Amino acid sequence: MKKLVAVLLTLALVLSMFACAAPAETEETATAEEATEEVATVETTEEAAETTDEPIYIPVMAKGFQHQFWQAVKTGAEAAAADYGVEIYFDGPASETDIDDQVNMIKTELAKNPKAIALAALSTEAVTEILEECAEKGIPVIGFDSGVPDDQTGAVVATASTNNENAAAIAAEKFGENETLVAKMQAATPENPVVIGCLSQDAVSASVTGRTTGFVNKMKEIAEQYQPGLVSVEGHTKWESIVDNPAIIIQVEVSATTEATSLQTSANALLATPGIAAVFCSNEGAVVGFLAATSDGEDLAADGKYADLVVAGFDAGTAQKNAIRNGWFYGSVTQDPYQIGYKAVELAYEAAMGEEVSDVDTGAQWYDSTNIDDPDIALLVYD
Amino acid sequence: MDSQVKKKLNMQKLLAPLALIILYVFFSIFGNNFFSVDTLKNILESSYYIGFMAFGVTFVIITGGIDLSIGTVMMCSALIGAYVFKQLNWPLTIALFVTVGVGAMFGLVNGLLIAKLELPPFIATLGTMMMSQGFGSIITKVQSQTWPTATAEIGSWFKKVFIRNTFYIGQTKFSGFPVGAFWLLAFFIIGALLLHNTKFGRYTFAIGSNEEAARLSGINVSKWKVLVYTVCGIFAGLGGIFYAAAYTTITPGTGNGQELNAIAGVVIGGTSMAGGSGTMVGTLIGIFIMSVLKNGLSACGLQAPWQTFFTGAVVIGAVLLDIQRTKAANRVKKS
Repeated sequence: MKKLVAVLLTLALVLSMFACAAPAETEETATAEEATEEVATVETTEEAAETTDEPIYIPVMAKGFQHQFWQAVKTGAEAAAADYGVEIYFDGPASETDIDDQVNMIKTELAKNPKAIALAALSTEAVTEILEECAEKGIPVIGFDSGVPDDQTGAVVATASTNNENAAAIAAEKFGENETLVAKMQAATPENPVVIGCLSQDAVSASVTGRTTGFVNKMKEIAEQYQPGLVSVEGHTKWESIVDNPAIIIQVEVSATTEATSLQTSANALLATPGIAAVFCSNEGAVVGFLAATSDGEDLAADGKYADLVVAGFDAGTAQKNAIRNGWFYGSVTQDPYQIGYKAVELAYEAAMGEEVSDVDTGAQWYDSTNIDDPDIALLVYD
Repeated sequence: MDSQVKKKLNMQKLLAPLALIILYVFFSIFGNNFFSVDTLKNILESSYYIGFMAFGVTFVIITGGIDLSIGTVMMCSALIGAYVFKQLNWPLTIALFVTVGVGAMFGLVNGLLIAKLELPPFIATLGTMMMSQGFGSIITKVQSQTWPTATAEIGSWFKKVFIRNTFYIGQTKFSGFPVGAFWLLAFFIIGALLLHNTKFGRYTFAIGSNEEAARLSGINVSKWKVLVYTVCGIFAGLGGIFYAAAYTTITPGTGNGQELNAIAGVVIGGTSMAGGSGTMVGTLIGIFIMSVLKNGLSACGLQAPWQTFFTGAVVIGAVLLDIQRTKAANRVKKS
């Protein structure tokens, strides 16, 4: 009998842990958020939302928490939640390859009967059935960031996003304005080709592939002006258009996984390519991997071993901002993550209220060491 | 006295199903809209693929071994299945056989490495874990692969057959009926019969209880071990089909850690990591406990890290229970 009591007590212990967790949940998550949150006002808005009677509930399903980018989106989303008095639940999978986790999260949220859902899908195919269910139940879906590309179900009523192709083309245009690089492109011969690298973390997500496409196409167009017919795109089958004996090679390097170490390996491969003259890193993850491959960027300094390399990034983050401030990077393209989050919740609220909504382009900007501290840029480049 | 002790043991066997029910009731009270058909479907659907892996690895764990490769083998099978269907335009039925075949192949390799070349299971399957992850990426050229969706032109039956379907019985409409549950049940029955009612199952237990004794009593241990790991691989391949049916897109380089979910389910279900004891029904309950926990915690607004944390706590709790149970059982034997 003693044993049975002991066994039951053990079970009770395990179960009581859950019992304790539930009531304490709001406090615990609140303190956890307090630690990570940059904007202090968020705390008060959350509490305000909780006390209101039956506020409109909108889950905001992001692609992850990994990068600071998502924290800025979250800040924007929470600001909009406060402005419109809606209750939001911001969540995303631990890694941007965890498609299954995200699908489960959205299903769980859908079971709570929300008024609208804001969604940045990791894979459109994986959420097709969920979207059909949303369409059937009349729950409007708002895409944000990369949104839900090629949705056929009609559930997605609007998307708040950056036009990634246009945004990445800005970097290619800036490469075309760089005198050193232009001189190199003019001097390039099939014997000594110039290589322009593009470092991307995957060939899956729409935002990264869109940027890669935007950059590659624009860069090819610019390079053709200097070496007509001698521009080759190599490295990944998706973008490949190989020309024999090229004078300018656009090398697309896609890493095996989205982890920093994997991107670092890809960055090393690019850096080891003979004739490498410029590199475009298509997101914050790629920038972090690239910096790791260049002694945290110091190799790019005026006396470093890659001093002549022209590097452009995308997005922001402390490490990237540091590289730009020091002039190690030529510059970077930034989206407006705060606006993405804000507009997503705003559109979701309007859709939930039955208003007509349409796509919003949240814009992109070029920033470098000269304008990084301008007030309107500083607002966009999160730490 | 004896019957009293027996009763007590039966009570302890009921603890796992009881815990499942308590958890479900608990989350139904405290979770946001947890007690609903939708949530029940979610619980079922997120446990299919883990269930298949867990059924397979139950055999391996009962022999006293371990298979760390099932998670990545599952993904590798699903990747290659999708690859032959989408890129090589093979018929979907063939692609399904390829999926299971890839799983069986890796299972066979594991079995041969462990039984014939006498590698420790941990090392052998650690190796095949990495190999299968790499293999899937190599074949697919690190491109994610998609299985047909319910509205696809070719193969739209895939989801309807394996995951959920809408149909009519008379005038009643069953919307989004979780047909996958029948598959899980069917393979649970097959697995349970295989484990508890066949020579294969008896030898599995015999090898796990005392490998040397099994050998001395004339069992061809290495042959049966190869079979056990192959069965485990086949179940991992089947898991691949249901993973694909539930999540459609398969990303190369993933699958790490999924095997631990399956192993945790097996352990929660009372199968001893030391080998020689375990039940298939325990495994089934184990995976549902994990699935209820996962869905329940997110219904309470607790995000993914909390779910992982509590799943860990449950694994420890379950093993503590198991130790108590073994101690009690030993006392019975002595008396």
